[in-house]
Amino acid sequence: METVRNNKYRSPEASAFYTAGLILLGIVVVTFIVSLFWTPYSPEATDAASKLLAPCPEHPFGTDNFGRDVLSRIMSASKYTIYISAAGVAIALILGTLAGIPAGYFGGYTDKGIMLLGNSIMCFPGILLALVAVAVFGASVTNVIWALGLVFAPTFARVCRVGTMEIKELDYITHARVMGVKPGRIMAMHIFPNLVPQLLPATVIGLANMTLFESGMSYLGLGVQPPDASFGKMLSDSQAYIRVAPWLVIFPALMLVFYILGLYFISEGLRVNLAKGGKR
Amino acid sequence: MKNSIKSIVIASAVALTLSGFAGCTKKPGAANNNAVVGITQEPGIFDPHTVVAAGDEEIIFNVYEGLYKYDSKGDLNPCLATDVAISDDASVYTFTIREGVKFHDGSDLDAADVVYSLKRAAGLLENQDGTALVQELDPIKDVKAVDGGKVEVTLESGNTELLSYFTTGIIPDGYDNCQAAPVGTGPFKFESYNPGQSVILVKNENYWQKGLPYLDKVTFKVCADMDAGLTELAAGSIDIFPYLTTDRANQLDKAKYNILSNGSNMVQIFALNNSVEPLNNLKVRQAINYAVSRKDVISVTMDGAGVELTTAMSPAMGSYYDKSLDGTFAQDIEKAKTLLAEAGYENGFNITCTVPSSYLIHVNTAVELASELKAVGINMEIKQVDWATWLDKVYTNRQYETTVIALTSSYAPYDVLDRYQSTSSGNFINYKNDKVDELMAKIPTITDTKEKTELYHQVLKLLTDDACSVYLQDPTTITAVSTRLEGYNVYPMYVQDMSQVKVTGN
Amino acid sequence: MQGKAGYFVGKLIELLVTLLLVSLLVFAAFSIIPGDTARVMLGPEASEAQVNLLRSQLGLDKPLVARYFSWLFGILTFNPGTSYAYNMNVGELIAQRLPVTVGMSAIAMVMVILISYPLAVLSARKPGRLGDQVCSVIGHVLFAIPPYVASLLLILLASSLFSLVTVGNYVMPSEDFFGYVGCLLLPSFAIALPKIAMSFKFLRSSIIEQRASDYVRTSKSHGLSDLKILVRHVLPNSNVSSITIISIILSDILGGSLIVEQVFNLPGLGRLLLSAISRRDFPLLSGIVFYLAFITVLLYFLSDILAAITDPRIRLK
Repeated sequence: METVRNNKYRSPEASAFYTAGLILLGIVVVTFIVSLFWTPYSPEATDAASKLLAPCPEHPFGTDNFGRDVLSRIMSASKYTIYISAAGVAIALILGTLAGIPAGYFGGYTDKGIMLLGNSIMCFPGILLALVAVAVFGASVTNVIWALGLVFAPTFARVCRVGTMEIKELDYITHARVMGVKPGRIMAMHIFPNLVPQLLPATVIGLANMTLFESGMSYLGLGVQPPDASFGKMLSDSQAYIRVAPWLVIFPALMLVFYILGLYFISEGLRVNLAKGGKR
Repeated sequence: MKNSIKSIVIASAVALTLSGFAGCTKKPGAANNNAVVGITQEPGIFDPHTVVAAGDEEIIFNVYEGLYKYDSKGDLNPCLATDVAISDDASVYTFTIREGVKFHDGSDLDAADVVYSLKRAAGLLENQDGTALVQELDPIKDVKAVDGGKVEVTLESGNTELLSYFTTGIIPDGYDNCQAAPVGTGPFKFESYNPGQSVILVKNENYWQKGLPYLDKVTFKVCADMDAGLTELAAGSIDIFPYLTTDRANQLDKAKYNILSNGSNMVQIFALNNSVEPLNNLKVRQAINYAVSRKDVISVTMDGAGVELTTAMSPAMGSYYDKSLDGTFAQDIEKAKTLLAEAGYENGFNITCTVPSSYLIHVNTAVELASELKAVGINMEIKQVDWATWLDKVYTNRQYETTVIALTSSYAPYDVLDRYQSTSSGNFINYKNDKVDELMAKIPTITDTKEKTELYHQVLKLLTDDACSVYLQDPTTITAVSTRLEGYNVYPMYVQDMSQVKVTGN
Repeated sequence: MQGKAGYFVGKLIELLVTLLLVSLLVFAAFSIIPGDTARVMLGPEASEAQVNLLRSQLGLDKPLVARYFSWLFGILTFNPGTSYAYNMNVGELIAQRLPVTVGMSAIAMVMVILISYPLAVLSARKPGRLGDQVCSVIGHVLFAIPPYVASLLLILLASSLFSLVTVGNYVMPSEDFFGYVGCLLLPSFAIALPKIAMSFKFLRSSIIEQRASDYVRTSKSHGLSDLKILVRHVLPNSNVSSITIISIILSDILGGSLIVEQVFNLPGLGRLLLSAISRRDFPLLSGIVFYLAFITVLLYFLSDILAAITDPRIRLK
């Protein structure tokens, strides 16, 4: 029984992706780890006397409209960005696979039912769902993450479903079925691993969308609460100052792009490896 | 109504052809006699007796007029009435109605229109249940026309404070469709409303003040927020834009825009719920007052364009404002700490601040306040809620600890202080002081202005002594006006008076 | 024929059930979240009497369940109802906002096709060459730039470098068509960027795959020119996957790109949706969600059919 896991092939293309990805993601992760122990200034302490300073030796990334050090804020923002996107995508991924694989595997009414629900959730405004979550369970970042996870789950379910429909026609799956292997086992042991190459890019897109979605929700007071921040929130807060203080936009934007691009490169590396390994 | 679904479908397919019916907004250009005003609040209510939101009021100020009308200096002048006689005990007001005034629908204004309008506002019409639409006019017992084009208003008891509420709009007798098709006597007629986009007013050719207005058309254009308005200003697609901040106004071309500034007569308040622990403790409330730097709040939220407040009224209220209270709570961290220790909170405490997320100024204020309160050991957690939730939870049901909000301006001192009566529905801070209740009940019966002013001062002093909340600032209104226009006056309230504006250049 | 009719009927039922489910979800959400339309419209200074008058004028004094059923009944008779906050037919309101949303989608779509197709064809000619690699790297980077960040950076560029492009200042197409297209260019580009990268990536790999396939090799041996092979065989087969991608992209954009609309101050569907939520405007919100659900399901439906037309191997099941 061949699965894609048992190969050790590494292409040079994949290595390039890994290196680039690790460097970019490394910048964000190191920033995050350092922020747990040290930031140059307090990320929350306001100082009306030194507001909107351009980057200078004391404040390498400048200061914001409250006189807070942007570098310190970016450092502490990395925490929420990583937490929200990772936890949200994890929930969406788990819910999506749990719904999508059976839908694709069993087909028929199971499939119809699950996809109907998925479509309905996709059409349902995520912001409204988050409002409901907050109204029922109280305002907290965790509740918003659950709402986000639910909103994004149908995308993963869709990917899983289509993938499963293709894979289940393969000979070895038919084999396994004929030999009496239980559906649950087939789905977990044989189908899921083969879905990984398709799930990887979806995961990265999910991470990117999640960070932005979260910042968009701040308009209704959901998501990260001030004075805490995430990259997305810093961007939406600084939009007003784009002409007078572009550094408020540029640095969080760069960090956000590093984070997503880093993850994306790593997933590309993985995908190339799996694809090449699979073909061999 | 079948075609509405169909229109969606067609529009999806051929959007470009269909978009034709989506209304028009004209750019200001050469040789036109129009003006475009940027507004940031979506208008919605055009009925003069239910309107209360500032965003609606600033528009319909040009459409409806009352018996009396405020000018930009805050003086109350006769408008649709030429004068008023108030009985000695202030329980009967007799207005003389102006002659030669025409409504936008062409009919003449007479006493019957006034009677109908006032009754409707006071909830006295036969089809109404007796509760006043304009709450302040609730004391009216009866309105009737008397000889010689006069209207007599009888009150339940003497009230010398009521004249300023006769600014409420007069509409034609029996007219009940103001929401959809406003009809008033003002300098401009209501032309159209495109939701989310614009309200268009056109010149009232028969306006009773001869020669006014100058403009043919005024468009109130909805902008998503201040920054969107700024982009539109820079692009030249709007002429007048109020409610800017200093640093944004500074980005504008000085040759194209004049920057006007004026006190807004609003009171931004860090509201403390007086009935929850530990805010029910006077010393705690005083400590919070001493811990706050109003100057820094103004610097962070308004770039310094605001007037520090320590009491419930803006200095724009003239003699009613009590100057002796200025500087009462100058920032003093040590004193704040001592007060907290005396109250039994030497280690501080945790508290939440529920702020409306759509008002950036209040969210930013909360952030600055949280940072300042930390210095005295108070950990304030900020909880943003959307405006609908805020109105429901905080304002109506009073389930909160602290919040930041601006109390809307009014020229009437009684209106400003009304909410501090323990029974007032606007008393969302749950303030209760029998002395204040007593004074507020007494004020409407006083006819002597000096004595009345003295009583108002007493109320203000009590509010400040009780540190019922933290009064922060009267934010300055900064308005950009295109240099092609002149005659625009900034009012210390949410009003855009377009009647005096004229085009002088391009 | 019967299979086809059955397919259509099945899809139609699916559409109806989805719409019903979504409207039920919206209704459930509304019964949970706090807030009152009349109070939001009138603001804090309004008296109870004023709020109550407006409530009864709007029909808000009826219980939500009754309002839901009257709304549902309205939909069945093709009347989406009247918005509370705007006092206007919901259908008209949505149609008013469509020029922005549809225009933006159309322009973005054109950009995606115009840029990604030629690049993908060129790149796939000689995979691994410098040009291909440069395109791929740029594609990777673009893919990772979220539209929101792109919008902000584009505004920054547009306002500092060229004063040609006006940001904000939306004009109606009826008034000045070129102005309308002009003001949508930048936001459309912000939306299109990651989609261009996505479409480029899929097309490129699809073309390379097709090239290597047996039938192309056979055609080549028969002496067909490269261009003919590309146009006749490679692209049509790649189209199957690109149609799917395009439908995904379209449903993405047609849903109203709230953040981009917000940044560029465009009166699109996304902002109408947000306003409906924040004003607790049940008929309007249900109407928009209903419309979005309709579009989404319809697009998947159309993409299935188109895929079937372009590729005879896929049969309508």
